[in-house]
Amino acid sequence: MALPDIRTPETTERSMTSADTDVGTPLIQVRDLAVHYSHRRTGGSLVAIEDVNLDVTDGEFVTVLGPSGCGKTTFMNVVAGLVAPSHGQVLVDGKPVTGPGPDRAVVFQDYALLPWRTVIDNVRFGLEMQPHLRGTGWRERVQEAIETVGLAGFEQSYPRELSGGMQQRVGLARAIVAEPRILLMDEPLGAVDALTREVMREEIERLITATGKTVLFITHSIEEAILLGDRIVVFKSHPGAVKEVLTTGIERPRSERSIQSDARFLELRDHLWEALRGEATAAATRSSS
Amino acid sequence: MSTLLASGPGLRQRGPGAWLAGLSTRGKAAVIAVEVLVMLALWQLVVGVLGWINPVFVPPPLAIATGFGELVSTGALTANAPISVQAWLTGFAIAVVTAIPVGLLMGTSLPVDRVTSPIAWTIYATPSIAYQPLAKAWFGFGIGPVVFLVTISAVFPILLNVAAGMRTTSASLIRAGQVYGANRFQLYRSIYLPSTTPFLFAGLRQAVVLATIGMTVAELAGSATGMGALIIKASNTYQTDQAYAAIGIVVIWSVGMTRVITLVERLVAPWTRKGHS
Repeated sequence: MALPDIRTPETTERSMTSADTDVGTPLIQVRDLAVHYSHRRTGGSLVAIEDVNLDVTDGEFVTVLGPSGCGKTTFMNVVAGLVAPSHGQVLVDGKPVTGPGPDRAVVFQDYALLPWRTVIDNVRFGLEMQPHLRGTGWRERVQEAIETVGLAGFEQSYPRELSGGMQQRVGLARAIVAEPRILLMDEPLGAVDALTREVMREEIERLITATGKTVLFITHSIEEAILLGDRIVVFKSHPGAVKEVLTTGIERPRSERSIQSDARFLELRDHLWEALRGEATAAATRSSS
Repeated sequence: MSTLLASGPGLRQRGPGAWLAGLSTRGKAAVIAVEVLVMLALWQLVVGVLGWINPVFVPPPLAIATGFGELVSTGALTANAPISVQAWLTGFAIAVVTAIPVGLLMGTSLPVDRVTSPIAWTIYATPSIAYQPLAKAWFGFGIGPVVFLVTISAVFPILLNVAAGMRTTSASLIRAGQVYGANRFQLYRSIYLPSTTPFLFAGLRQAVVLATIGMTVAELAGSATGMGALIIKASNTYQTDQAYAAIGIVVIWSVGMTRVITLVERLVAPWTRKGHS
């Protein structure tokens, strides 16, 4: 089923974004990005992602949707500065990314909290290595971040004393405590139980809308991608590349319940379902052959 | 782990297993105490009362207690124990201050690990008594050979555990460190070292046991003083009750020192404490 009206080809998308915002350069520019991993034993190389182009404007919430193994995490790691591109580059604020920086924070799928630190010290980790934030006033910042994510009263708990959802709240507080411009979220709710996931989706939506942060949010959940994203970047696998970019165009604030009856939501969901099913089938055929 | 298994749904909900699993810490200690007492009573009965076994080979508990009394009253214990303790502490301290930096280096640098690891494993795998003649040749007849054997027994479990701890540091924690701006030094301080701490303490506990074996072996094989010498002297004069008493003291030292290590771990690394989640 073809739905040409919601399909926005990457080229027109780019011209549209720059015309719309009027700020000149987008905050994040991804140019001809490719990452190849080399196999030490065979000497060959695996193409993780290839030919990725994307512009993200300041304050935009972009969800990246794709089947597992499509390279979406690799893509995010390049933006985070954790993986060096094999080809092309990522520009943040016009400057090429050469490593991690205080303008970008990451929320990890497995939380990546330091088990030997209490909640308050884990959150503090988000700013303690940044000289301009380390001085006086860090306590207030940390406390504010903890309260923002709803963890007041758990400051002295160790991560293993908290549920998965609460641990990810700590991860979120650590990411926002230094007030980065860009939040990179790698399937942050992937390991959280279903009920908590729904609650936290809405909380993330509200939090990000309120703070106006620019977000790259990796997910393999279609509902999550639509609920949270201003735009949805659909990845395909083998090699990982952008299949299409869709604009959601659903009014905020959105809620899990209200969105279920939204015509645009249903339209997008059907379209994405078709797109991802094709990918999943292709992947299954490849692995069985 | 054992409580987890025993209290799991559908697993052993009745019977002695469930009863044991449900006990408090104090209750478990009481069970162990009763177990030990019953064992000692049986031992006393079989050897001491019924005389089924020659008490020279396996002296009964009460005879060992008397043997302990003799060790104290003759001054044999005060003459030998401090020498052993001194050798043990010196050897263990040398092992710790050598093993930790080398282990950290091995865990950090793959080339260093590739070169050092085979040597470390070879020395570790060699029975410590094989080093005794060498130790004597190098360090003479005093406390030297004992210190050497304690060190060589204790150094490798610490070193290899620390190296393993460094290498198994979670990749995702390292990424988190990098994302939030840690430089190389800060990564070590805030990620690698705390992550290696539980491994260090596991290594230290193994090292305590092996150091005590090393000490006893060195003293047994031709030292004039120390607990090992005391054991061999008593055995050679058929005072096996005294020999067993001396062995018992060495065992208590070994177990006691592992407890000390565990207590230090609880102070230094409270997050490793079990029984929370």
